[in-house]
Amino acid sequence: MTKRLLAATLTAALAAAVVVAAASTRPTTRAANAPIKIGISLSLSGDFSDPGKAVKRGYELWAAYVNAHGGILGRQVQLKIVNDASDPNQAVSNYQKLITGDHVDLVFGPFSSLLTGPSATVANRYHYAFLEPAGGGPKVFALKLHNLFFVQPAPVVKCGDSFVRYLKTLPAAQRPKTASYASLDDPFSSPIADAMQQQLSSGLHVKTVYKTIYPAETTDLTPIVAKEIAPKPDMIIGGTQSEDAYSQVKGLVQAGYSPKFLFFSNGANSPTEFPSKVGRKNVNGIFSCSDWTPVAKTNGNKLFVSQYVKKYGGTGFDIDNNSSEAWAVGQLLQLAVAKTGSIDNQKIIDTLHKGAWPTIEGNLSWDANGSPSGDDLLVEWINGKLLPVYPPGVAVAKPFSPKPPWGG
Amino acid sequence: MHLFVQACILGLLTGGVYALMASGLALGFGVMRVINVAQGALIILGAYLSYSLYGHLGIDPFVGLLILTPAMFVLGVLVQLAFLRPLRDEEREELSLLVTWAIALGIEGLLSVAYQTTYRSTITSYADQSWHVSGYYISVARVYAFVASIVVLGLLFGILQLTKLGRGIRATVQNPTAARLIGIDTRMVSAVGFGLSVATASAAGAVYGIVFPFNPGSHYDLISRLLTIVVLGGLGSLGGAVIAALFMGVGESVFATEISPTWSSFLFFVVLIAVLVVRPQGLFGARVRGSI
Amino acid sequence: MLIALPFAFTAPWVQDLFLFTLMYAALATAWNIIGGYSGYISLGHAGFFGLGAYAMGITFTHISIGDGYRPFFFLPLIGVGVAVASVPIGWVAFRTRGATFAIVTITLLFVTQQLAFNLRSLTGGSQGIAIPTPSFPVSTYNVPFYFGMLGVLALSMLISWWVRGSKLGLALFAIRDDEDRARGLGVQTGFAKLASFALSAGLVAMAGGVWAYYLSFIYPQFAIDPLVTIGMVLMTYLGGRGTLWGPVLGAFVLVPAQKYLAYRLGASDFYLVGYSGVFLVVILLMPRGILPSLAERWRKLGLRQTHHDERAKEVAAS
Repeated sequence: MTKRLLAATLTAALAAAVVVAAASTRPTTRAANAPIKIGISLSLSGDFSDPGKAVKRGYELWAAYVNAHGGILGRQVQLKIVNDASDPNQAVSNYQKLITGDHVDLVFGPFSSLLTGPSATVANRYHYAFLEPAGGGPKVFALKLHNLFFVQPAPVVKCGDSFVRYLKTLPAAQRPKTASYASLDDPFSSPIADAMQQQLSSGLHVKTVYKTIYPAETTDLTPIVAKEIAPKPDMIIGGTQSEDAYSQVKGLVQAGYSPKFLFFSNGANSPTEFPSKVGRKNVNGIFSCSDWTPVAKTNGNKLFVSQYVKKYGGTGFDIDNNSSEAWAVGQLLQLAVAKTGSIDNQKIIDTLHKGAWPTIEGNLSWDANGSPSGDDLLVEWINGKLLPVYPPGVAVAKPFSPKPPWGG
Repeated sequence: MHLFVQACILGLLTGGVYALMASGLALGFGVMRVINVAQGALIILGAYLSYSLYGHLGIDPFVGLLILTPAMFVLGVLVQLAFLRPLRDEEREELSLLVTWAIALGIEGLLSVAYQTTYRSTITSYADQSWHVSGYYISVARVYAFVASIVVLGLLFGILQLTKLGRGIRATVQNPTAARLIGIDTRMVSAVGFGLSVATASAAGAVYGIVFPFNPGSHYDLISRLLTIVVLGGLGSLGGAVIAALFMGVGESVFATEISPTWSSFLFFVVLIAVLVVRPQGLFGARVRGSI
Repeated sequence: MLIALPFAFTAPWVQDLFLFTLMYAALATAWNIIGGYSGYISLGHAGFFGLGAYAMGITFTHISIGDGYRPFFFLPLIGVGVAVASVPIGWVAFRTRGATFAIVTITLLFVTQQLAFNLRSLTGGSQGIAIPTPSFPVSTYNVPFYFGMLGVLALSMLISWWVRGSKLGLALFAIRDDEDRARGLGVQTGFAKLASFALSAGLVAMAGGVWAYYLSFIYPQFAIDPLVTIGMVLMTYLGGRGTLWGPVLGAFVLVPAQKYLAYRLGASDFYLVGYSGVFLVVILLMPRGILPSLAERWRKLGLRQTHHDERAKEVAAS
């Protein structure tokens, strides 16, 4: 009796699933004026929801602008954004459904290298181009996917290179002699510090007096700060994300230690959050790296900033980098299609692998695995404002050192 | 040596806050044989509410405690009535784990919707200050947090030792049947006891939010430490929980500073396993037939 | 064993949906062997899932995946390996009971996750491990994985069914009813508990292995995720703790629902609240789960009918 009941229930559940499947599969329209469907999986809930929503704003802003100005190849752009709840399982399921169920014409990337890797693999299987705004960790490029394009000037791990080059421009007496490295254990943060340490110790003979990598959920960084300042280093380099950068700064302020050079790979590059979290009077002289700033003189940047501010309010400095990266993805697609004259994925892939492409993120070009061949910007806090200071071609202000004491 | 003492100071201050958090958990188990896995989430809820009180109304978190604690007490009683009392006695221990875990998830979900997932902290004017005493620096905020925790703990102990209600709670913890026999309304006592444990959670949360950044997902980290502390001290033993908390606070800090920050939270678990192998009832728990 | 048939659904995303459903069905069934049959609620089983996943990942950074089918043949090895490894873990945990046991298992889960993060040279730390993807034909790419997972489910159910009918099962049920009395009667409680723990751990690990291979990326916080444990437990409770088909039913109800809601409802952190709500409803209102509650309803109906018939006969006879 129970078995029959069970059979009935299971069949019902199956039937329901089938109905869901059938209802969601739409036939493809190949009509020339049908909208171009772009499928995107984004983290609209869960751990990545804040940056995920910033990416969404960028994509939507771009789509609205493009549609108001003739669309792409005369066709309107239609974004189909689905939520992956910051879960790679869900992201994989989403892209599978978007590509094979909804038959979208193109796809854009999700937020974070964690989700980009598995998603790009799915896209590659179906030979879709994968332009992505936020997956720049080394593991993504290790996949050796020919269809992948990280739409930022440099791979994440090279973010600190500009800072090292800046240090080289200083006369020997002003350079730092010793350094402490404290980094977060995650795919983007510690690799940056490690890369910098390598270049600093071999190229500039900076002695490493302390190095540590702390786990991701560490909220209490005071023991680590205590240890990193104990050898009294000239310079402290933090391979960080935002929260731990704020914690390190607060820890340093409380301990009353102000190194001559202070660099954070993340956190300190947030124009509005950083001063509010660590105190406006504590920011000056701190360096960071960034892929984009609102004042950078790149192709279409003024337009982007004005469009964003018009729709969402605030100033250019309130714009989250994730939104600019998303816009750049759309912008890149437009440029590529203008060249190929079609939205065929393979043609887009082939054409993007040649030459340089001017976007708001800079002049972009990639190697065979999708890793960009440029450099990120070095930014510094000057008089309470975050400005690009190196390389000189894109700098808006001159860098200064050493760092003033706290509160100055 | 300097670093060691510095670490001990830091650890002690942190341990005090852990002690407050753990005491609520121990109390909840004592009166109701309920493992309140939602304690972490309730602490974070307290942190968020305190954060909002400060951010929107300018009420200093320590002052805000006066508003927050009674409110959370009521919440605790309601939760107990709605979700825990209906559980049958035999299965209460295990099911309470699942029920409270579900509550924790629910709280996490609601907080995510209300506050998003960015990290917050209650940044008061004294958040950055520290005192420099003979070469050691002591964060002002942490000292306040420690003092507040001790005060609230003291109040809790006071209630338990000196009031009729407190005696009723202690009797119920020791032997519910006997307590009922001498006329104590154990059902009411359980509800009140649970309410108290949630109230302490909110106080701990308010204090926690000043010192550490938090987001809705932070409760996992908290609850895993608290569970370790409570088992280490012995389920049901309030004093045990406090001692275990201080011990783990100092231990973690010293370990992080002297040996390795990466493995310092691991220390909790190693200690737990070691204790369980040697003395499964924890340091101060009783060996009760069929329960531990 | 009706549904164990190959599918005429060629849409990969549907296969993907069923793959996850089967995975959770296998996980829930395996969990049931310890959690349902013996009453020891292990909340750390996601740790074994992760162990299986990492075992798969670590192995295949050193060996090639051959024609793509080789990883599937490694599954039994992984299962046995993790089962053996789980014995000392279980031994420590079983020194406690009831709620303390559950706490210890949660702790073990977090320990495993920490280890995965910290043992960077072995596990890649937070950067995770990437498993090479096989060159299965694109149109049927998901199918081998589907069958792999189906295989694990079939094995889980087989073992679960076998345990129920065996002396081991009897011992477990006795433990669930009253452990001390069982021990007093001479039941080998220690062995029974460890055996069921190891069996369930091995099965869960095998599911983890298939999952890792399918996703081709393993990160610590996703391979060892408390929400996976909650999923297993919730589905078992929903379908019927201690029954054979209950966990499977629970999985078939919840997994499609969750995937569908996540896909359709878009931007909503409400899904955690939803999960929480379902959990609370199940535990407070239907603590025995769907199958037992329905079976009891049916039986009561049957009894009433019999009683009714008898009364009718009595009336007719008089």
